[in-house]
Amino acid sequence: MIHERSDRIPSRAGKLRTPVGSALAALAVLVATGCTSGAPALAPGTAIRDVPVKQGGSLVIGAEQEPDCADWISSCAGSIWGTYLMQAQTIPQVFTVAPQGKDWVPVASDLMASTPTTAMVDGRQTITYRLNPAAVWSDGQPITSADLKYTALQIRDGKDIFTQTGYDLIDSISTPDARTAVLTLKSPYANWRQLFGAEYGVLPAHLLEGKDRNALMKNGYTFSGGPWRIASWVRGTSVTLVPNERYWGRKPHLDKVTFQFTTDTAAEFQAFASGQLDALYPTPQLDVLAQINSLGGSADMQVETRTGNLQALWMNNSAFPFDSVAVRQALAHSIDRGAIVRKLFGSLGVTAPAQSFLSPLVSAFAAEDFAVYQRDLAKVQQIMTAAGWAKNGDGIWSKDGRAAQFTIVSLAGNQSRELTEQILQSQLRQAGFKMTIKNTSAANLFGKVAPAGDFQLGLWTLTDTFPEPTLDATFGSTAIPSDANGNSGINFIRAQVPGLDSVLGRVGTEVDETSRLQASRQAERLIADTVPSLPLGAVPNILLTGKKVGGPIGINPVQGPFWNLAEWGLAK
Amino acid sequence: MLRYTVRRLAYSLPVLVIASFILFWAVRATFDPLAKLRQSTDPGAVRRQTELLGLDRSAPEQYLLWMKAFVTGDWGTSTRTSGAVMPMIGSALEVTLQLMFWGVLFASVIALGIGIYSAARQYSAGDYVLTGLSYVGIAMPAFWLGLVLIQLLAVWPRQQFGLSEPPLYFVGLHSVGESGINLDYFRHLALPVVTLTIGLVASWSRFTRTSMLEALAGDYVRTARAKGVPRRRILFRHALRNALAPFVTVVALDSAALVGGLVVTEQIYAIPGMGRLFLSSILAGDVFVLIPWMLVVAVAVIVFNLLADVAYALLDPRVALR
Repeated sequence: MIHERSDRIPSRAGKLRTPVGSALAALAVLVATGCTSGAPALAPGTAIRDVPVKQGGSLVIGAEQEPDCADWISSCAGSIWGTYLMQAQTIPQVFTVAPQGKDWVPVASDLMASTPTTAMVDGRQTITYRLNPAAVWSDGQPITSADLKYTALQIRDGKDIFTQTGYDLIDSISTPDARTAVLTLKSPYANWRQLFGAEYGVLPAHLLEGKDRNALMKNGYTFSGGPWRIASWVRGTSVTLVPNERYWGRKPHLDKVTFQFTTDTAAEFQAFASGQLDALYPTPQLDVLAQINSLGGSADMQVETRTGNLQALWMNNSAFPFDSVAVRQALAHSIDRGAIVRKLFGSLGVTAPAQSFLSPLVSAFAAEDFAVYQRDLAKVQQIMTAAGWAKNGDGIWSKDGRAAQFTIVSLAGNQSRELTEQILQSQLRQAGFKMTIKNTSAANLFGKVAPAGDFQLGLWTLTDTFPEPTLDATFGSTAIPSDANGNSGINFIRAQVPGLDSVLGRVGTEVDETSRLQASRQAERLIADTVPSLPLGAVPNILLTGKKVGGPIGINPVQGPFWNLAEWGLAK
Repeated sequence: MLRYTVRRLAYSLPVLVIASFILFWAVRATFDPLAKLRQSTDPGAVRRQTELLGLDRSAPEQYLLWMKAFVTGDWGTSTRTSGAVMPMIGSALEVTLQLMFWGVLFASVIALGIGIYSAARQYSAGDYVLTGLSYVGIAMPAFWLGLVLIQLLAVWPRQQFGLSEPPLYFVGLHSVGESGINLDYFRHLALPVVTLTIGLVASWSRFTRTSMLEALAGDYVRTARAKGVPRRRILFRHALRNALAPFVTVVALDSAALVGGLVVTEQIYAIPGMGRLFLSSILAGDVFVLIPWMLVVAVAVIVFNLLADVAYALLDPRVALR
């Protein structure tokens, strides 16, 4: 679970728009609606759409962002579009995420001969990986346990690593044979499936060991252990993938896929409408929703509401007035979260507010404890009065000469956030709180403001990157940015909920799923009781495809919309 | 002429040094070069980079270090892409210059034509129409115009006539797999060039008209008319030559602004030029790209100013370059 500090997160929920983008969008809607009517074949909350395909051909897909670099275990791993375009297509992973009933669940990929197993041996957790003997790199070399070992140690011991979570617990990794690796952890790690399966995959030791990995990978690489390999990456223009002929699994139907960087949203939609782009994966902003409606019946749309993106209001528990539990509870009762969610994403099928800090991707572990917080101004009055607050002449709650007024910070230029802030401002004013808006850039917000705790109220998205609960990263007191954790913790709100650390510890280390689920529910209850922050709602993902695109098409909430690109093709 | 050019270039150096220091200081004061590293899990990363880049030194010292590296061709490494800055800017500049070349070429020819016509037929119906259109052109922002052109010249024809592909493309400068100057290139180039040209023609044609009217009101023109010099000869040999000098100056100065000023056009048409590089760098707070980028634009302004002066002297023999 991470805050949208890098473009891995904002790309889906709060990407900083270009200055011209917003202005363009409105115009594009006007222009486009003049020529088309109706709406795309809309399927909110749909499962995978399957269209028969033929062999051969090529597709051009719009990419809203260009990855900065392609070393997927360094900070480059923060690029969500990098993951979609290159990493997911070329780097094999131990676990992938696949739909199972209404949930997306981790399953062993075809890299593995069998599902990895974990066990407690002499009080230590071990994980055994058995690789598929057919698995080979694009140069024909087998994918071996040495590759797992190399990757694990690079992440555990390396510099400039995107995140070492989980890998920092690795005590040793043994390779009894070329196809078997056994990982021993220093302490139990309940989210062990994330290893080689969430942010990272497996890298080829025979090509990278003893060399400067970053230098070899940052501008793209020729090796592949996935269905595709990178044919070219023209900076600022496109990435082209061609089939990896040595891929041992299901080979791609298409001869070539090009991701064209079209960073302007309005132009991207026009390129799609004109047939220059065959598919789009736009950030679900307000302007995008309007533009989708202008496409007419020329497109098919997949909407995935079971995402890992959760928008929330973040209250700085160490800053006035949110250092008071009563104020936080009162604020939670001041807001009609359902109205905000429906306003933002109601047309895409998100109609109910989130009642948990676990996103829909991790819903199996989530409770509904925040459901008690409904807009109820009488309740606000009761809580604030009991806590010694009284309204001043301006109708604002005040105590000891200090009024309950505060500033909210979010991403400048993000239309949906700005709309949310305006609604909040109005609702809070009615409840006796005065809120001012002061937005900033993503770099400033997540690079300086939030880590330094230099805010009162924040509005941004939390993203789960794997279907495992990781609330400890956001609410654990040890994750408060400090010298002790190298200021890398992401408990930006400085939450210190009594009793929560130990419960979250159990969620993170309890290997027994039933006990873990109980602990997770208990943690949720503790969090809801003291309201260190307030969840608003899930942010859906949208995929648009032209009529020529076929295949099983659907959005994987972890690996993105192109997770099964090998199965895409030209529609029959 | 050569002495003048060399002297002007020499005069430009102090301007560049002062400009570069102001740019360096302003960018460093605005952006944190280590912002990305501050999110790193490596606790020593910030300290190491601070020492490596000399960020613990005073601003003048940092500037001198940077300038020394800059003049020796070491423009640094982008914090966004980890790539060398010099080829990044070089590649972007090449793309922008292509766009500029075609835009300025077409705009100059069309603006001169319109300006001459309007001046020669002042207050005619054609003059009123062209004057009105030029105001419309000036009023249309590039982001609006670009999208309208895309809709009218690419999206709509394809949908209206059931074409398999749009007659004009508008994503990048080449289709996938294509390169070089060919039909595909011009099909990509047409819309951004038209967008650029319309804006330039709108203002340049007004300028040409005014310059031509001034020239046509000159005593030498009256004398030429009295002597019975044909109207066409008066227009093109006498008035235009005098009107060209200020026109060329405006073209040169506007061209300088285009080097870094095509942000919107390049963004709409997904063209990886200087404007788009600036935008992505500023959004990422990539100071190591921003500073040389600004310096390159500053150099372009000086060079185009110089070109304007030289062109002015070539066109107007009364101006002596000393």
